[in-house]
Amino acid sequence: MAEQVYVVFARKNREDPLHHIGSVQASDSELAKVYAWKTYDEERWFEMVVAPRNAFYPVNREEAPFDITRRGAGTPEVT
Amino acid sequence: MTDDIRSVADLSPESRRALHDLILSLADSKRIIGILYADWVLGAPELEANIATSSISQDEWGHSRLLYALLKDLGEDPERLEHAREPSEYCSIEALDQRLATWPQFVVANAIIDSALTVQLEALSASRYAPLRQRVQKQLEEERFHEAHGAAWMRRLGSSSDAARSATQEALDACWSEVLHWFGPDDFGAAEKSAGLSDGTGGELRTRFVERMGPVIQGAGLEVPSAQLDFSDWDPASRRANRTGPDPEAVARARGDRNRAFFVETAEPEK
Repeated sequence: MAEQVYVVFARKNREDPLHHIGSVQASDSELAKVYAWKTYDEERWFEMVVAPRNAFYPVNREEAPFDITRRGAGTPEVT
Repeated sequence: MTDDIRSVADLSPESRRALHDLILSLADSKRIIGILYADWVLGAPELEANIATSSISQDEWGHSRLLYALLKDLGEDPERLEHAREPSEYCSIEALDQRLATWPQFVVANAIIDSALTVQLEALSASRYAPLRQRVQKQLEEERFHEAHGAAWMRRLGSSSDAARSATQEALDACWSEVLHWFGPDDFGAAEKSAGLSDGTGGELRTRFVERMGPVIQGAGLEVPSAQLDFSDWDPASRRANRTGPDPEAVARARGDRNRAFFVETAEPEK
């Protein structure tokens, strides 16, 4: 089963916007959800979501800092 | 719901004994599973799984501390329970007596044995005994992720190589009967159910467990093992058939023996 990168977004309060907080590599979305929750557990998040990295289409650059496919879990990202 | 019970003084002696045994069995099982999980903190197949395993292990350790603390009101010394018992005194689920020597064994413990503990914990989420009920919810929230982790990995191993699938099936076959026995005879806990302390008998909880695990196991391409239930040697207090207890090395680590070896002798604190 191929691993893919999932990007992680979260917010601490209902009124906050979602923030891009990092990424995990996982074989499916169920595992990605667990990995994200357990990796980024430094806050009491109101909401956390994950999405496959390849669901995002670069708008203004082909090779953006957002592309983290070769980095490991928990690597801080430039957004 | 009928009235809350806030103090052990309001429990019958029978209910007190039953709650004591139930909480100790859960606490010991969570303490031991936390230690066995910890063996895989650096050995899981990928970085994210190491992180998840570490966090899950700590969760279980936290749950056991909460549960041991509850036993103080039921006449126990939590310090002794945590640090001064022999393996034969442990009331942990027998399915955790052996070390988790392989990753498929870890995954089965995570997906199946841990979930059995959760089914028992859920039966207490509406308990009239308020001190217990109030400590269950947070544990259940954390257990949701444990179960998801175990189930996802079981699917992954089940759809992987033949060797991975058969190792997972073997681990499942090895623990299944002991897990089913842990819930006890069909009418086990009937008095506590009538008293509103728990919401299921042994038979009912076993059915809930099998109904929940069936789709997880089959969804992973594995077979639900068969088991013949026999409670002739089963002890209702420890919920075990043997009294040898878990792996002595795991118990020594759970007690913190090596940590205490470094302590400097000090005077007994004043009580």
